[in-house]
Amino acid sequence: MKAKILKDKYEKQAADPKQTVMSAYQNAVLRINLTKKEATVEPLRMDFAEKYVGSKGLVIRYMYEELAPGIDPLGPENNLYLTTGPMSGTPIPCSGKLSVAAKSPATGTMNDCSIGGHAGIRIKFAGYDMIVFEGQLSEPGYIVIDDDRIEFCRADRFWGKGSHDTEAELIDEYGREFSCLSIGPAGENLSNMACINSDYYRQAGRGGIGAVMGSKKIKAVMIRGTKGVKVPNIEKTTDRILEILHESCLDEENEFVFDVGTYAFLEGCQEGGIMPYKNFSDTTDDNWEQYNDAAVLPYREGKRGCGSCGLGCGNFIKIGDAICEGPEYETTAVAGPNAGNTDPTKIVKFNQVCDNMGVDTISTGDTLVWAMEMTETGRYDFGIHWGEADKMCEYVEKLSRREEGFYADLANGVKYAAEKYGGFDIAMQVKGLEYPQYEPRGSWGMAMSYAVSDRGACHMRAYAPNEEVFAASVPPYTSEGKGQIVYNLGEFNAIKFSCCLCDLWGTVDYPIMAELLTLITGREWTEEEMGEVGRRVLNIGRAFNQREGFDRRHDTVPERVVRDKLTKGPAAGQVIPPAAFEDMLDQYYEIMGWNKDGTLPYELIRTLL
Amino acid sequence: MKRLKFKKELCIGCQLCSQVCSAYKEGEYIPSKARIFIESYYDRGELKYDDSYCILCGRCAKACPADAIKMGDYIEVDADKCIGCGLCADACPKHVVRLRDDIAYICDTCKGDPNCVKTCPHNALTFE
Repeated sequence: MKAKILKDKYEKQAADPKQTVMSAYQNAVLRINLTKKEATVEPLRMDFAEKYVGSKGLVIRYMYEELAPGIDPLGPENNLYLTTGPMSGTPIPCSGKLSVAAKSPATGTMNDCSIGGHAGIRIKFAGYDMIVFEGQLSEPGYIVIDDDRIEFCRADRFWGKGSHDTEAELIDEYGREFSCLSIGPAGENLSNMACINSDYYRQAGRGGIGAVMGSKKIKAVMIRGTKGVKVPNIEKTTDRILEILHESCLDEENEFVFDVGTYAFLEGCQEGGIMPYKNFSDTTDDNWEQYNDAAVLPYREGKRGCGSCGLGCGNFIKIGDAICEGPEYETTAVAGPNAGNTDPTKIVKFNQVCDNMGVDTISTGDTLVWAMEMTETGRYDFGIHWGEADKMCEYVEKLSRREEGFYADLANGVKYAAEKYGGFDIAMQVKGLEYPQYEPRGSWGMAMSYAVSDRGACHMRAYAPNEEVFAASVPPYTSEGKGQIVYNLGEFNAIKFSCCLCDLWGTVDYPIMAELLTLITGREWTEEEMGEVGRRVLNIGRAFNQREGFDRRHDTVPERVVRDKLTKGPAAGQVIPPAAFEDMLDQYYEIMGWNKDGTLPYELIRTLL
Repeated sequence: MKRLKFKKELCIGCQLCSQVCSAYKEGEYIPSKARIFIESYYDRGELKYDDSYCILCGRCAKACPADAIKMGDYIEVDADKCIGCGLCADACPKHVVRLRDDIAYICDTCKGDPNCVKTCPHNALTFE
């Protein structure tokens, strides 16, 4: 069927002086009501776009507008949003990311994930800035979006199948001009750790976003776009984009992305004393060279990036029948040192099984290494011990299928499991989202970054180790000045991700972002505005969460981090004193203009709307 | 004569080549109308490549019954002469010739200075 274009809404927009339609946007939101099996197209809220640009910021603003407080994340009232940015579909490098967002079942906060691959640019070429899935299907289905044509199809034959298996069959059927976003059994079974896959090895990973898709009974979304993206003075604009591609994106500082990929962080984290060991009971691993880039990259069969990339971080690795694009640093650390495992083949296998079952490697890894420590210390026998990486893969399959006993509990993530079985003090999570693989006792700012992040413990919001460890521009073992550092990093990433740019373009800055946005949208954007948008994005995320009941009490740190001293590596002897953690929160709240209890004053919220 | 060359081991599948091609040739970013189609993709544990680009073999010119395709250092299509028969597209071994509104669209290597090559971030595309 063809989506119905809501002409009255377009007429209303045309008459609204507050909404000037900018170039590079499609000015179209495709809204698919799954319950009614209806599809409509409405104009994009340009007043939102002017304040929040696109992707991350834009979708949080939409969620604030549309998701009523207190809704069940797995109920029909929650929406699943696929959001591009103004740069999507242009040759601006690293602009192929797609924001996938919903209220999170794992945390109860808002949750925006960033997925690579080609789905983002194909949504834009299909003619949409955003696709919103509302309601729920009554039976498992998949949705085909082929430019203006929308099709609801039965997915009984795919239900229960792996994400890779599903993508392979659907691409066979529809062709490679289509992108596939799919879930595995974990998403179907509403695991809090379920992810969404695309291009086989790219994920919207965190906060149980795959469970939201599963709750809507959508096994897959197929997208093809044959339309164009229009910008002013296209030849001059493209000339300038190519200059920026070669001068900034392909600067030698970013060369490691193609040469090594995120494996490069392994050495930095080992040498800097922030690579977690055995469920964050300590840091660093004397055997790290058994699974580092030098050990694994000889098995590289090729390189691959996302649509519109330029850098190409993906390493396609094959060691026997263990195959994946990656494993990225996070997966390597959690299935390697954090699990007491040194066999890279098993790390690759863990990655492969997680992808196909459709679970996030970080959350699943953290939950399993917590179960290992619980078993080893005799607190509860989960039957899995340090180094048992084969068993990790077996457990991934069982928890994804919610097999009886503790597997079904582990599928809910480490917070839920620890509330039931004990061991909350060693459950590495904030607000129900498991810790990424950076030990905060070696990078104190990271403890606060995890605590104040808009979706629980996330390393993509404000990457403190960059300043505290890798660049070593500030002392890592102190709370002093960390409020400002985490704020600056957070503001920067908030606008960067709202442009839909990839994290790995490390040399992009506010002048470049402002210039690019000005060139493609035809509206003047200033350097200062980039910071202002970033700050607004941080605030609107917080405002959403505040409405859900979150405040300072939820900006926490796992007890282990403020109780036990590290014994190994450069950060040996370090523990974050509770008062230092609270001090960092105070600093951050003050910079954000928040109240002492972590809430936003009403006047501040009003400026966001 | 200089020709486009493609080294798949350097290709990251970003498709910036198609986007930039369409920008200069069509006036918008519209890869579906580009005159080069290069992609990499995964299929059941394998990384594969598709590389549709003009190798200046001249078979399109030879196949043209309307004398609309001229082959020099690059290919030129005379849109007025083109009858939209599609014989050029059938003859193209790289499947890069596309017909739109009864006119053949063929890569002209940007008249010997291809923008796709200038774009390619890891020099997977060269002109030599």
